[in-house]
Amino acid sequence: MAQSTFDRRRVNGPEESFSPVFDEEDDAELGWTVKHGRGLADIRPIFLQPGLVSQANGSAYIETEKTKLACAVYGPRQSKTTTYSERGRLNVEVKFAPFSCVRRRSPLRDAEDRAVAIAVYQSIVSSICLELFPKSTIDVFIVVIENDGIEGCIASGSIAASTALADAGIEMLGLVASCSAGVRGDEIRLDPVEKEAAAADGTVILACMPALSSITNVYQSGRVSVQGALKCMELCQDRCIDVHAVMAQSLLSSRTSTG
Amino acid sequence: MTGLSKVEISYIRSSLLSDPPLRADGRAPEDFRPIAVETGVAPLANGSARVSIGQPRAGRGHEAEGAGGGTEVVAAVKLEVDGVGDDEEGGKVICSVSCSPAAYPHLSSPALDDLQSDLTSLLGSVLSHPSLCPQNLVIVPGQKAWALRLDTIVFADAGNVVDCLMLACRAALVDTRVPSTRSVEYRAPGRQSGTLNEVPDDLMDVDQSRNGPSSMLETRDPSSAVDFELADYWDEGKVLESRDSWPVCVTLNMLPTIHFLDATSQEETAVPLRLHTMFSFPGGKPTSHGMRMAGAGTSDMTQIGLLLKHAEKYARNMWIGLEAKLAEEEARRSVKAREKFYGGRRR
Repeated sequence: MAQSTFDRRRVNGPEESFSPVFDEEDDAELGWTVKHGRGLADIRPIFLQPGLVSQANGSAYIETEKTKLACAVYGPRQSKTTTYSERGRLNVEVKFAPFSCVRRRSPLRDAEDRAVAIAVYQSIVSSICLELFPKSTIDVFIVVIENDGIEGCIASGSIAASTALADAGIEMLGLVASCSAGVRGDEIRLDPVEKEAAAADGTVILACMPALSSITNVYQSGRVSVQGALKCMELCQDRCIDVHAVMAQSLLSSRTSTG
Repeated sequence: MTGLSKVEISYIRSSLLSDPPLRADGRAPEDFRPIAVETGVAPLANGSARVSIGQPRAGRGHEAEGAGGGTEVVAAVKLEVDGVGDDEEGGKVICSVSCSPAAYPHLSSPALDDLQSDLTSLLGSVLSHPSLCPQNLVIVPGQKAWALRLDTIVFADAGNVVDCLMLACRAALVDTRVPSTRSVEYRAPGRQSGTLNEVPDDLMDVDQSRNGPSSMLETRDPSSAVDFELADYWDEGKVLESRDSWPVCVTLNMLPTIHFLDATSQEETAVPLRLHTMFSFPGGKPTSHGMRMAGAGTSDMTQIGLLLKHAEKYARNMWIGLEAKLAEEEARRSVKAREKFYGGRRR
């Protein structure tokens, strides 16, 4: 991660820094055997709150244990570019807070931001009726406040973005729910935390619209057999139905509480 | 990518959906354009390859395959010595993709940057994954390792750039030779077994018999090597260890009810959804190294299951073809190298 451009606008951290060493008993190579009191096919509990950013058209905050992120949606608003576009544009930007990871992240944009943004974009783009918004742009901004594994980040980001879009009242075909899975050997664990994902042979992230039972995104990395990947996707799809219920419930209760 | 009007898009779509499917260049849906692979194209790199898809072989104008030539990619591997951190295994693969502006004349420079970083992160997430990191990149355990830099340049894009990139990467990685090294450590002269040893007259002696440490400051622990040197040997080194697990990519272009391979850039624009699948077949056993969806369409479980089966079949064919070609290239180049070597000797 060689920084070619020096950030002159901020006080930069020291050139070389070391993350603190924690005295944990279940650390290091234990990764996969980490105990967190949930079954293999269970996901972390989700806290989802729409309408947290008051100045945005729609917003959502999601927290699944150590993954915390906030999402705000602006638009549909006029595109800045002058070129005519028949369909609306969706613009997703992801930002990691400097303190979101074990190692400090530079406030400048880096490659991982964009990789996550593309994955989230792919998850939600097919759910939005972009043909209804000519000449306009929908901006989705996601800030990762705490990060516990990139897989969880992409999944939670997609959920938050879809909830925020619904909160903004943008026409969609359905809510997008998302879930990740880690594979090691024959064992499949849903919603792996960072250590589990690092210890896994491969990971699969699935985003789907449970209401239409259609899949919007598949993101697999690492080493997985074809059967394993399909099995992961089926398990994730089942779990997405539960996630969908959480999303619908949170949207409903936020509507009734604000009137 | 390139701007197409609605009419053009619907023309391409309807001809693809007709029975039998029609494509502008007369291919069947699961046909690739001709693929050309050449390894060892960059003499200063540790491994390199040039891949072009759809380039007519016998020069310009000969049986023109579509108007725009083909997709052309060069990949090169450079090994750099890198320090190893405290809790790292050592050895890493760093990918980068640069797109020549000549290949994308219609893109503004920020858009080109975005495209480059997208392709870079796609390649990085597949090839830099810890499960693929070759073991023999470590030089001195815990201290020094090779950082493998895989740089690719897209010279021309006539569609299907991801498949082309992955082919070039696999060819370059298979072509890569890691220079053989020898660990060196310091030994205090004459301290080892009392006074029996004469002080050796060659203090900087290097152990010829094995890769183990030797010289100067003596220590019994073999892992106390502090540095390394390049072995002076006739060949360029060893191949990477995980040679047969670098994947190839097959992109399935999905139009509702059909899928087809190796889309040209016009076809790419007309297709709502693409599925990139990365497969490797170490020992004949299919392993998926990555799956990405791209585009604004949707799919469903049964369709994806079916597509993956097809993708595996296509990838296997491509794998077998590439293996044969790479073996041929290797034989050709080793004959050439031997001739050069012995030719130099005789003179």
